[in-house]
Amino acid sequence: MVINWFKQLDELLRGERVRGDLLLKGKIDLDLKAFVPLSIILGGVYGFFMGLYALLAWRAGSSMQLLATTVKLPALFLLTLGVTFPSLYVFNALVGCRMTFGATIRVLVGAIVVNLAVAASLGPILGFFSLSTTSYTFIVLLNVALLGIGGIVSLGFLLRALRALARSRAYSEAADDAERAMHSQYPQQQHSQAPPMPPPIPSPGAPPINAGFARYGEQEDPARAAERMRQAMATAAARRAEQQVARREGVANFILTIWVVIYMLVGTQMGWILRPFIGNPSSEFTWFRPRDGSFFTAVWGAMHHFFFGN
Amino acid sequence: MTSSRAPSPTIRFEDHLLHPILTGARPDGARSRWWVYPLTVLIAGAIYGAAMGSWSAGTSERMLLIPYAAAKVPLVVLATTLICLPGYFVLSTVVGLRADFRAAIAAIAAGQAAVTLALSSLAPVVRFVYFSGIGHGQALLLSVAMFTLATCVGYAVMLRRYRPLLAKSRRHRVMLAAWIGMYIFVGIQMGWMLRPFVGTPGMPVTFVRQEPLSNAYVAVGRIVVQSLKELGWGEKDATDRPSRPYR
Repeated sequence: MVINWFKQLDELLRGERVRGDLLLKGKIDLDLKAFVPLSIILGGVYGFFMGLYALLAWRAGSSMQLLATTVKLPALFLLTLGVTFPSLYVFNALVGCRMTFGATIRVLVGAIVVNLAVAASLGPILGFFSLSTTSYTFIVLLNVALLGIGGIVSLGFLLRALRALARSRAYSEAADDAERAMHSQYPQQQHSQAPPMPPPIPSPGAPPINAGFARYGEQEDPARAAERMRQAMATAAARRAEQQVARREGVANFILTIWVVIYMLVGTQMGWILRPFIGNPSSEFTWFRPRDGSFFTAVWGAMHHFFFGN
Repeated sequence: MTSSRAPSPTIRFEDHLLHPILTGARPDGARSRWWVYPLTVLIAGAIYGAAMGSWSAGTSERMLLIPYAAAKVPLVVLATTLICLPGYFVLSTVVGLRADFRAAIAAIAAGQAAVTLALSSLAPVVRFVYFSGIGHGQALLLSVAMFTLATCVGYAVMLRRYRPLLAKSRRHRVMLAAWIGMYIFVGIQMGWMLRPFVGTPGMPVTFVRQEPLSNAYVAVGRIVVQSLKELGWGEKDATDRPSRPYR
């Protein structure tokens, strides 16, 4: 079963689970029964490497800190999704992206799994530095950088998925529009009331007939005229499809921006509430710290301390 | 009349080592074995490490640095690669370059083998310069120069092997930069952790320094900040600093 989960993870990372042809059918091929446990496992792996820093100090509560970080890291991502999902879904629906409830949650869980998979793969680098560095501020900044890389990659995944969905929807709508237009333009021909036109027979010595237009003063062959009209309509339909794609991609970008802002604000504050993750060597182990300040002031303080030492 | 003599060691060296590193295949067209690269790193790295550790190897205690450094140079290269590999693999997959992963890793491994091979070829130079009697600081500078030179050669080889991939997709450029960034970032700390390689005079010879763990970047950052403070930067009272003459 676990091997099958990792096969699915591999397919997700390769982008095979969010292909355009699947999205066109409204199918986002992400099994939540596999991907939610995978996010817990991958988050736990990264959390384990993060918690190794506490082991270096080897004081009372070090092993508890390791355990706490291993548990808290996947919780951070999934709790943030739990808190933000209703607003993400409603914004998505209001903006005009016709993603279903199930499709939205699948895409978001997929993005979290991609984020944690990248972070877990960078875990050995974090583990190496955690076991060879005593500087707390360095480890804090390294964690921010590595999780930032995971976040950027997962944003790329989310953007690709949303754009693929937007494109497939736009092409599908444009194809429907074109078919409707053809039906309204040629109702008789479509219903085969008119007899089919015979193809024109070119006379042996005659100059070649211009493919698109009849000469001035000549009667145009009706079959050729119909073909020309069909081509013109196809060109117009293609242009409309392009416009639809551009509009839909704009919607996808807008949705992504809203999602990122909401998720980032809640996620960083959730991280702040769930701290300590790394475990400051000068503090005793606790599961949670008192609720004061915010993530951004802490990162600014860490950078200031790292570069200027006070 | 055909000759039944065995090929000379030089020809063997070129056919079985240089050609595979440069092209990924032997001259007869057969694909080179994957273990050629780590084996080259192990042997060639050890040769350079032994030369590097032989500075001031006058006493039996100092002689210990020769096997220590011989073990540590390949260790730095291989351990850094192993630490960076999972991240590179997942990032390659995510950006859609999984199909080219083998070729990319072969190019990277060839580059590393080339670095150590170039280093090992510089071992006689290092030994000769040590023999002429240089100080500890100069020995360290010599090592930096040798590593810089060998890294340039290795980079050229890696780029040569990477070129078909770079022509295939622009994303390979991003992944190559990501690999180099990760490798340098981890490699510097790995080298810092496994020091000494040359051996500071007056300090006991050990495999790794018997001192609290530290971080290369933090240490360099502190040196830079200290230097800036000595130059008068970051002082709160600006009037203490010498002012420019008014023109």
